[in-house]
Amino acid sequence: MMKDNLEDFVREHQRDIRNNPAFRVQVQRMCQLIGVDPLSSRKSYMSELLGVGDFYCELGIQIIDICVATRSINGGLMDLDELLRRLIRRRLKGSEPVVEDDIRRAISQLKPLKGGYKIVCFGKRKMVQSVAREMNSDQAKVMTLAQYTCKFTMEDVRVAFGWDEDRIHSCVDDMLRSGIVWMDEYNEAYPEYWVMAFFSQLNSALTMANAE
Amino acid sequence: MSNTTAVPTPGAFQFPEIYNFPPLFTRQPNESTWQEQRRQWCDLILAYYRHNRLYSLTLAEAITEPPFTNRQIHRSLRVDVLRELVDDLVKQGNASWTGAKNAKDSCLVLWRKPEVWASMIYQWANERGLFNTVLTVFELANGDDTVGQEFHNLDSVTLRRALDVLQSQGKAQLFVGTSDEDMGVKLFA
Repeated sequence: MMKDNLEDFVREHQRDIRNNPAFRVQVQRMCQLIGVDPLSSRKSYMSELLGVGDFYCELGIQIIDICVATRSINGGLMDLDELLRRLIRRRLKGSEPVVEDDIRRAISQLKPLKGGYKIVCFGKRKMVQSVAREMNSDQAKVMTLAQYTCKFTMEDVRVAFGWDEDRIHSCVDDMLRSGIVWMDEYNEAYPEYWVMAFFSQLNSALTMANAE
Repeated sequence: MSNTTAVPTPGAFQFPEIYNFPPLFTRQPNESTWQEQRRQWCDLILAYYRHNRLYSLTLAEAITEPPFTNRQIHRSLRVDVLRELVDDLVKQGNASWTGAKNAKDSCLVLWRKPEVWASMIYQWANERGLFNTVLTVFELANGDDTVGQEFHNLDSVTLRRALDVLQSQGKAQLFVGTSDEDMGVKLFA
C-alpha cells in the first residue's frame, strides 16, 4: 500500500524531483525508509519512475571526465566542494541543478569501475579519490594535519606526531610519488609540501568569488 | 573580428589558476608531476607571449619579470629550469635558440610557427597581386600596405625565419642588403 502511494506520488512529482535537488533528496530518503532503492539498478522500475537513471549516469560521466582531466595535476584527489563547483560551471544552463548529495550517489554508482571512485575524509575535508590507491594511516594523518593550511613542512610533521626522520621522509616520498603533493623549495632549509587538492579548492573558491 | 594587428591583445592576460600555486616555481622531484608542470609552463609561455605580442626572451632578464616571476606570491622560476622549458619548446617547434652557439641564453618564442607566418604573407601577396615584385623586408613588416595584417610590425628576426621558409619552399627569393631591413624579397607563384 505504501509502495503504491509512493509510486503515484513520484509519478505526479517527476518534474519537481528532477529540478529541485532538496526535494529529490527527500524523496530518495523516503524511498530508502520504505526499503526501495531507486538506484539499485538502472533498469529498475523505481529508477525509471523517478526518471533519475539518466541524470545520475550523465553526472557520473561528467565526474569521471573532470577527474581524469585533472589527475596528472592532483594525483587523483579532489575536494568534493571543488568538484561540485566545477560540475555546476560545466553543466549547461537550464540543466538540472546538482548538490553534494547527487555527487555522492553518482560516485557510489561508479564504485564497480576500476578507477576506484570513492569519498575519503581528512578531518573536515571531504575528497573524491579517483585512482585505486590505499593511503596508509601516516599519509592520512599528514593530510589531516594540512587540511586548513594546504601545506606542511617535515618539521611540522615531526612536531605534531614525533616521528623519526626516516618515517617522515618515507611518508613525504610516498605522497610526492602519488602526485597528490607538490614541493615548494622557496625556503631551501624547510621545503614546503603542498596538497594540490586542498590548494585547488581554496583557489577556485576565491576565483569564483572574485568573478561574481 | 579577430585581432588582426600586431599589437598586444586588449585586456589583461588571464593567468591559469595554477599560476598562484607556489610549487609551480620549483622544479618538481617527482617525474610525472614534472611532466605535467612542463606542460603547464609551456602552454603558459606561449599563451602569454602570444597575448602580449612578444617574440623573444633573454633568460637572465626574463626570470625577473612575469610570467616567470609572480610578485604576488613572491616566487620566481630558476634560470636552469627555464632553460629546460625552452628546450621543450624547441623540440615542439615553438622556440629557437639565438645568440652564441650552445650558450642557451636567449631564444625566439615562436607562438606562431614560421610556416604559418609564411603562408599568411604568401596569401597576402597573392591577394594583392604582388608576385614577381621586389619588396623590401621593411615594407613588408612596416609598410602601409600591410596595416591590418597579422604580420604587420612583426619582429624582424621572426619575419626573416618566415621568409626563409618561403625561400626553401621555392616561393620566394631573398636579396641581401646592407642590413636585415634593407633586404629585399620577391615572391612568386
